[in-house]
Formats: sequence, C-alpha cells, structure tokens
Amino acid sequence: MDFVNQLQRKFIDYSSSLHREGIVDDQFTQLRKLEDENSPHFVMEVASLFFEDCEKLINNMAIALEQKQGVDFKQIEECIHQLKGSSSSIGAMRVKNACIAFRSFSGAQNREGCLRCLQQLSHEYSLLKNKLQTLFRVSVASRCLYVCLVIFCRENEHAEPFPDVLVFQLEKQIVAAGGSIPRVH
Amino acid sequence: MAHTLPSGDQASDQDKWDSGGLECNQQLLIEIVMRNRLIALVVDGDTTCWVLEQELLHSYGVQTLDVDNSRDAVDLIASNAEFNLIIIEKIIPVLNGLEVTRQIREIGVRCKMLEVTACSGESERQAFLATGVDVFIEKPLDPEHLVPILRELDRQ
Repeated sequence: MDFVNQLQRKFIDYSSSLHREGIVDDQFTQLRKLEDENSPHFVMEVASLFFEDCEKLINNMAIALEQKQGVDFKQIEECIHQLKGSSSSIGAMRVKNACIAFRSFSGAQNREGCLRCLQQLSHEYSLLKNKLQTLFRVSVASRCLYVCLVIFCRENEHAEPFPDVLVFQLEKQIVAAGGSIPRVH
Repeated sequence: MAHTLPSGDQASDQDKWDSGGLECNQQLLIEIVMRNRLIALVVDGDTTCWVLEQELLHSYGVQTLDVDNSRDAVDLIASNAEFNLIIIEKIIPVLNGLEVTRQIREIGVRCKMLEVTACSGESERQAFLATGVDVFIEKPLDPEHLVPILRELDRQ
C-alpha cells in the first residue's frame, strides 16, 4: 500500500504546486467539482479541447504577425479575446494574464510588442500543457490503482494486505485532492 | 448526478435555502430548476467555453441548446423556439453579440439574457445593457453569478 499512498501524496503535492506557481487558479478547482461518476474525465476532456483551440489560435496569430503586407490587428484581437475567454474559463491563470498583456500591444498596433507577447504566451501555454498532462497521468494512475485495490479486496475476502481502513484512507486522499471516487461494480 | 423529484412546495423553498449548507442548496436549486424545466440557449463560438457553460448549467438541472454562431441563434429564435435564458458571447461568427442581442429583442423575446464575455470595458457593458442584455458578466460564468439568476427565474 505504501506505493499507493506515495502516488496519492504526489498527486496532492503536484496539484497544490500548480496553484502555488499560478499555473491554475480557483476556476480550475471549480471545474473539478463538475466531475462525477457520469463524467469522471471531464476536466481532462475539456483540457484537451482547450489545448487544441489554443494551439490553433497561437498559430493563427503567428501567421497574422508575419504578414508582409500589413498585420491584421483586428484578427489578432479576436484571437486574443477568444483565448482569454477560454483560459479564464478553464482556470489557466498565467495564460490568461499573458493574453491581457498581449491585448494592450495589439490595441496599440505594436507589432514588435505583439511578437514578444506571442512568445510569452506560447511559453505559458507549453508550461500549462506539460503540467496538466502530468497531473492527469498521476490522476489516472491513482484511479486505476484504486479500482484494482477495491476489486482485489472484494474478490479476496480473507486477504489481509489491503484492509478496509487503508481503502478508506485512500478514498479520503482522492477526495481531498479534488478527485471523485470511481464506482466499482 | 442523481436528480430528485421536485418538492412542489415553493413557499418553503426560502426556509430550506436559508437553513441549508452548500450541497443542500445545490440540490434545492436543482429541484427548483427541474420543477420549472428551465432551458437555456448558449451562443458561443469557442468550444471550450460552451462545453464548460453547458456542463455548469447541467449541474443545476438546466437543459441547454448550444449554437456556435449568431445566424443559427437568430434562426432558432425566429422559428419560435422558447428559452428561459440566453447566454451570448460578444465576439461570435457571422454577427457580433451586440447585433445578435438587438435582433433577438426585436423579434420580441423577453427572456433573461446574459452577456458572458472574455474582455469587458464599461462602454461595452453599457452598450450591451442598452441593447437589452439583463446581466453583463466577464468570463468565466460561475455559480456566484448563475445561482441568483436561476432563483430569479423560479420566482418569475
């Protein structure tokens, strides 16, 4: 059970670090509350949508800023608007803040400033994606281990290695970290 | 999320609300919403945003219909589809949110309309309120803004 506890501790610590570093804010915590047994991977699925949209928007802005005949700042502003909205909605605080800075340069039609902001935005996005993908991997591993644990306990009534008290502790840790308990039938 | 049958006793809802904790209030709000069979139209071109807004509304028992452009939104309203709540983003494909709001109000729709947008300035806020939006919110749409609106729809 020690490795299970270690995995849970890693999940909790990693999740806390994302908040401490400002990668995500309270809105991300709110999203996790929308997960339940009917949609246990909701946050992961929404994050995937966000990654897809974000990459498309960053790419569009990069192309727009490279246009020799003149930069379409209106298009840039619309991309920033959309990205600010989605990053706010998913709780990606540093990406959102990068959009706010970007918007002021776009409004001033400052191409050089926009290029610097785009670079910063790309950096913040890459950081967010790596961190969240790591978090999701640990979360999935914890859930799989939990399911195996419960199945083992139920099928081996006389087995001693995983007593109920440890299952209960693991459930508490999952909930404390913001996860939901998978239903094992 | 399991939804219980509506209690049908509106007079006691205020007492239950005032005395209940967070989970109790959410369950009560779901009962209220299901009793009124609330339906919301979400108009947002950004997939991440409308998925999240839809899920938030579903968590309170609100049924939703989502469109990702203004033309579909206006066509839907013009075909006499009825909604209790319309949520619109400012920048959407085809027409902007301000123009869509104006057209929807001109059709004669009087339901509650929320402008939920990424970037907001005071002049934009005033423009939307003047066009007929009831509430102007900067994203994200959250329970703090949504819950009072759903309770108000119940009182209506």
